[in-house]
Amino acid sequence: MIAIDTYALGALQPARVVEPADAQEVAAALRAAADAGEAIVVHGGGTLQRAANAPARYDVALDVRRLDAVHAYDPHDLTLGAGAGMTVAALDDVLARNRQFVPLDAPRAARATVGGTLAAGWAGPRRAAYGRPRDLLIGATVALADGSLASSGGMVVKNVTGYDMGKLYVGSHGTLGTLVRANFKVLPAPPARRLAVAPFDDDLRERTVAHASGLALEPVALLALDGFREAPGGERPRLVALLEGSDALVERATRELRSALGAAGVAETWLLDGDDATRAFQDLLDAYVALDGERSLTFIARGRPADAASRAQRVRGAVRGAETIADLRTGDVVVRVRARDEAPVELAVRDVLGHATLLAAGTAVQADAWGEPPATLATMRALKAAFDPHGTLAPGRFVGGI
Amino acid sequence: MPATPFAARLLDALGPDVVRTEPEDLAVYAFDAYSEDRLPSAALVPRDARDVGIAVRIARDCDEPVVARGAGTGLCGGAVPTRGGLVVSFARMNRLLELDVRNRRARVQPGMVNLDLSTAIAGHGVFYAPDPSSQKTSQIGGNVGTNAGGPHCLSYGTTTNHVLGLEYVDTDGALHRTSIDDAGYDLTGVLVGSEGTLGIVTEVEVRLLKLPEAVRVCVAAFGDVEAASAAVSAIIGAGIVPTALEIMDALITRAVEAHYHAGYPESAGAVLLVEIAGAQDDVAAGEAVLASIARAHGALSWRAARDEHERALLWAARKGAAGAMGRIAPNYYIQDACVPRTRLPEVMHAIEAIARDHRLPVGNVFHAGDGNLHPLLIFDRRDARQVQAVVDAGTEILRTCIAMGGTISGEHGIGYEKKETLSLVFTADDLAAMAKVRAVLDPARAFNPDKIFPTGALCGEVGARGGVRTAASA
Repeated sequence: MIAIDTYALGALQPARVVEPADAQEVAAALRAAADAGEAIVVHGGGTLQRAANAPARYDVALDVRRLDAVHAYDPHDLTLGAGAGMTVAALDDVLARNRQFVPLDAPRAARATVGGTLAAGWAGPRRAAYGRPRDLLIGATVALADGSLASSGGMVVKNVTGYDMGKLYVGSHGTLGTLVRANFKVLPAPPARRLAVAPFDDDLRERTVAHASGLALEPVALLALDGFREAPGGERPRLVALLEGSDALVERATRELRSALGAAGVAETWLLDGDDATRAFQDLLDAYVALDGERSLTFIARGRPADAASRAQRVRGAVRGAETIADLRTGDVVVRVRARDEAPVELAVRDVLGHATLLAAGTAVQADAWGEPPATLATMRALKAAFDPHGTLAPGRFVGGI
Repeated sequence: MPATPFAARLLDALGPDVVRTEPEDLAVYAFDAYSEDRLPSAALVPRDARDVGIAVRIARDCDEPVVARGAGTGLCGGAVPTRGGLVVSFARMNRLLELDVRNRRARVQPGMVNLDLSTAIAGHGVFYAPDPSSQKTSQIGGNVGTNAGGPHCLSYGTTTNHVLGLEYVDTDGALHRTSIDDAGYDLTGVLVGSEGTLGIVTEVEVRLLKLPEAVRVCVAAFGDVEAASAAVSAIIGAGIVPTALEIMDALITRAVEAHYHAGYPESAGAVLLVEIAGAQDDVAAGEAVLASIARAHGALSWRAARDEHERALLWAARKGAAGAMGRIAPNYYIQDACVPRTRLPEVMHAIEAIARDHRLPVGNVFHAGDGNLHPLLIFDRRDARQVQAVVDAGTEILRTCIAMGGTISGEHGIGYEKKETLSLVFTADDLAAMAKVRAVLDPARAFNPDKIFPTGALCGEVGARGGVRTAASA
């Protein structure tokens, strides 16, 4: 039994922890909580728990990590059904044995669960090349607050059979139902992987970004980092590029990258291959949720790829000590700040980036995970009321207090 | 004079240029590629989203249903106004509103023809991936409604993977914008593929992809469909995902060749069309591997298209297969279903047996790499026995696919035709969750009623009005 205080969220600690063994037990736990008028919050690895607000009420912690089975996997179908509590690293291992992968790009993959990664709406840097987790999800089963289990989609890669309910649950932070199973379209793993790191001088920044963004053989991930010493390449301003594909393609892409960066005046590009590249890329992903002390907080904002570098620069100008990741392929901007006082930081970040949401924060930090809700909030509230009429599921965790 | 007070109010509010009420004008909005038809009271050809909003509010006040339609290429009656009311045609809202090449996105109106989008952005180094075979006529809005696929969704994914955001009109006539980058529930994701039952889409923001460096299209001949299917299963099983893997059987190949002279081997029992795209080196290496897998599974020949012209012709012929069949068959009925890809040879064998049992000729032209089948049953609609046989065989094929772990629609949706079959795929609880979404977004069930949900699956539902003649399509 895990200590109950590890399930604390904000100032609240649950009265009890439930660890269901299967989907039926999850459904029964939700039903029991709904009947008792209790509030229940789902827990996986806890890696993205700060990407939502602390609940308004909190009675039961529902730890779904025992739902860690592979339900269906025929490698020749290129599909896999996983229990929501399976860790992303375990999923990666199962697939790697057959040279396949599902590019979820989860931070702290050894802890992060499949269900938690989906529920948190996580979408990492390789999505420009391979699609978002929502795009790889071909079927989903959720337990609902009325104790029923509802499936949608299936185990086929093309499917227009009823509503695509999986899309609603992805990113819902468990406020509509609890994911118990996820079916994925899996991909053949690229035979070769190389991570390139190229530190650049600040006066070469614009040229470097422009040259790297115009590559004919595009890296599957391409980011400009300032700070984030947990990620490869120290703390200097640097470009990180992940190249994946056949050996021949990766070689060609490396030559192209080096020559483009060379032309921009970048002195050196160092390379990591194979497992070293995989580990370094995981380090980079881990940095998205890594804290720089108890007073640090990290935001992420979606945007246009062409604007990412300049937006990151503006944040660094507006917020002293801000570390940034500018994702040149997806448009994401990630900002980490160590703040004595978080309120002005939150304001300044949102002032520059618009809709920035929280990714990570120290326990002492008070910050709203969501900021301004979207204009469709009324529809979202109505969906919440239809799925969870008694406010059983993670009340207050979501956008606009849902 | 309009026949109903509803039509009169629409005309009054929006004028005869936007609202059509004469029966001869309405006839084209009565049907899609399914057999059932029903005249609506009025048709709306809006100039903008505002027109849609005004018409939807009038429909709400008059308690009349609203059916949004694209070009009507769907096979399942999804665009048929089974209860009359208002049909919305986006023929006039067909423009590219914005092209952002650097960020690889475009904003388009729903009436834009799929192929017109490709044509409009050609030369910018980007492309829009979903390319249903109907792309010369089918519209982006309709594609969004059915989450349309096409041959190239094998590696690029279906429409839902390429929609970044929507503008839609709700049942009160109010306009909303969604984006997959917004915080909150993914309304974009659930609207795509909802067959016009949750909102009326008035603008679509699409994702564009960078054109691949090299493309190669190859054709392999096989002795029969099962052998070709086994090759496809083996290719996928080997961890290779080409951009397209399409099969045509002998019947289809001959029909296609008679019309297009594209160079498909007419004597083959089945033809496999393979497209590989990517970096130059990978495409060349990939072709060698694919050819050797095909040969190991009985390919009688393997040939690569020599140039862009030949590639385009092979694709035009493949995408024109259904049309080509129309020239030689009295009537045909196309089914749309999916199976896991390892089950392809088995399901093709079963389909052949089902057609034989019902004494119906069957042609097969399908997205093999996705496991998405399109058996095409040939019949004469003047013969009642044959019509019944087609209905029965169609249902048996769907049941067979479900039993193999598949599903009853890959790209055309459930529409009217398959709504009762949906309860073979999903439990009452599964459907109840979907019904909650419907109840929130369209509580009066005014948007495209009688579609998707089996009778009784929506709470408080009364039986559908109006009769169905046959489930066979001409």
